[in-house]
Amino acid sequence: MDNSSNPEKFIVNIGPQHPALKEPGHFEFTVDGEIVKNASARLGFVHRGMEKGCESRNYTQDLYLMERVCGICSHVHAMAFALGVEKLAGVQAPPRAQAIRELIGELERIHSHLLWLGVAAHEGGFDTLFMFSWRDRETVMDLLEKLTGNRVNYSANILGGVKIDINDEQKDALLKGMDYLEERTHHYMKVVTEDETFLGRTRNIGLMTADEARRLGAVGPTARASGLAYDVRVDSPYAGYPDFPVKLMVEPAGDLEARFVVRINELFESYRLVREIIEHMPTGDLAVRVPRRIPEGETFSRVEAPRGELVYYIKSNGTDMPERVKVRTPSLCNWASVLTQAVGHKLADMPMILAGIDPCFSCNDRMVTVNRGSNALDWSWEDLRRYGIEYYK
Amino acid sequence: MSETKKTTEELIQNGRQIVQQWIVSENTPEAGRLDVSIKPEDIKPCVKALVETKWGYLSAITTLDHPEYTTAEGSTEKVILPDKGSIELLYHFCESAAVLTLRVMLPYENAKMDSICEIIPSATLYEREAIELIGVELVGTPTVDHLLLPDDWPANVYPLRKSFTGLDKVKGE
Repeated sequence: MDNSSNPEKFIVNIGPQHPALKEPGHFEFTVDGEIVKNASARLGFVHRGMEKGCESRNYTQDLYLMERVCGICSHVHAMAFALGVEKLAGVQAPPRAQAIRELIGELERIHSHLLWLGVAAHEGGFDTLFMFSWRDRETVMDLLEKLTGNRVNYSANILGGVKIDINDEQKDALLKGMDYLEERTHHYMKVVTEDETFLGRTRNIGLMTADEARRLGAVGPTARASGLAYDVRVDSPYAGYPDFPVKLMVEPAGDLEARFVVRINELFESYRLVREIIEHMPTGDLAVRVPRRIPEGETFSRVEAPRGELVYYIKSNGTDMPERVKVRTPSLCNWASVLTQAVGHKLADMPMILAGIDPCFSCNDRMVTVNRGSNALDWSWEDLRRYGIEYYK
Repeated sequence: MSETKKTTEELIQNGRQIVQQWIVSENTPEAGRLDVSIKPEDIKPCVKALVETKWGYLSAITTLDHPEYTTAEGSTEKVILPDKGSIELLYHFCESAAVLTLRVMLPYENAKMDSICEIIPSATLYEREAIELIGVELVGTPTVDHLLLPDDWPANVYPLRKSFTGLDKVKGE
């Protein structure tokens, strides 16, 4: 059908419930038959007022608040914030703490990439792969729980270092876990690069050239799958990365298959790093003292989250509370690439293209708390704090 | 990596040269960074020069609120003066470990400048965030629909301004 004879647009709404992952976001795809002609996004469904919230809490409280920006990559948020505040305070966490930060960061990447592998497979209709990868993901979740006591929101960071150490029993469990996961990951690599039906949904779908990725501001595995050599761990190493460097994983193809291959290669690299850190763990203290009041200044803290470059801009004013905390999460950068790639593809490819960037909605949405009327379910910060104290008594 | 890889310092020098003609003042807040203040009307040519020479990528747009304070007589508590103050926009460009920040200051009464979406289309999400949260007009931005705030959010209420302390206070509830 010629579009010019039918000037009325047909718009398909996807979301706000569960557009790709089990998280809220709203997309409008203008279609001509099955083909997508235009795409737009509306976020903010899990907007919580975190940046503003930081300005009225002290740095220690903010560390715990920022760890909750995301439920998947909680550790990198806390690490980026802690590294920034340490820079402003003019202190540096000891080498052992930096190595533990990197170790947990890589374990978190393993859990995040395995989670994504399952979600992306599920979106493509490959539920067996989804269940297998999530079963295996439990291995790394259990390891994280063994190390920190928590499956998510590990709370390993404190300002000035970390609060958890690692003992021999945990080291053995980690090594065993890495061996098991490595063997399983070889199988996944085989599936995503050789299975005909799988390739039918990924090869040459959602193509993005290096130039486009650059122009659209893509970051992380999405950019690296289009041949862009961006990785903050390599470009501007932080925490333990100067001592335990990471190898850059790049794939030139730029399609969904490449996004699978890059993430799976990163899994192998993370297994290697975990082993190396365990073997050469520096000795020494776990933390240094950070003053309560942080001298006036500004810092720009960049880390590589599982989804790409995560940026924290922190401005301090000499008190114990920051003047401004700005967070730019990787999913926000990658949306532009999705909305552009979508055009020209079939509507049925949209879930996979959306999932292809590994979007994280709660990361995009932060900031304001909206308290509508007098709902007894609306709790104040103080109520929540009391409840927490009572609960853990 | 290749042998020709530039050091962070060289990258910063290189970035400075590209935007040299628009610099009003400059500052190095920490190693590997260069902050340059430019005039609001120069944002487009400045960003264009960086994009054309392929110096880095736009990593984030930070917004800062600088209200004016006063102290009431007989009290030490600082009170925000309504309608007085300025907004600052920070355009962070990253190239490897180097970060170049373009800083633009806008007074409340004329919080208006050009959008950069013509040059970097993907900046639209950053711009929409800035428009609705800090209250700035970006001329030429493709859409000003709410990105993060609810549809029924009251007009001219900007949550990231220091004067905003809660919606119930705005509505008088």
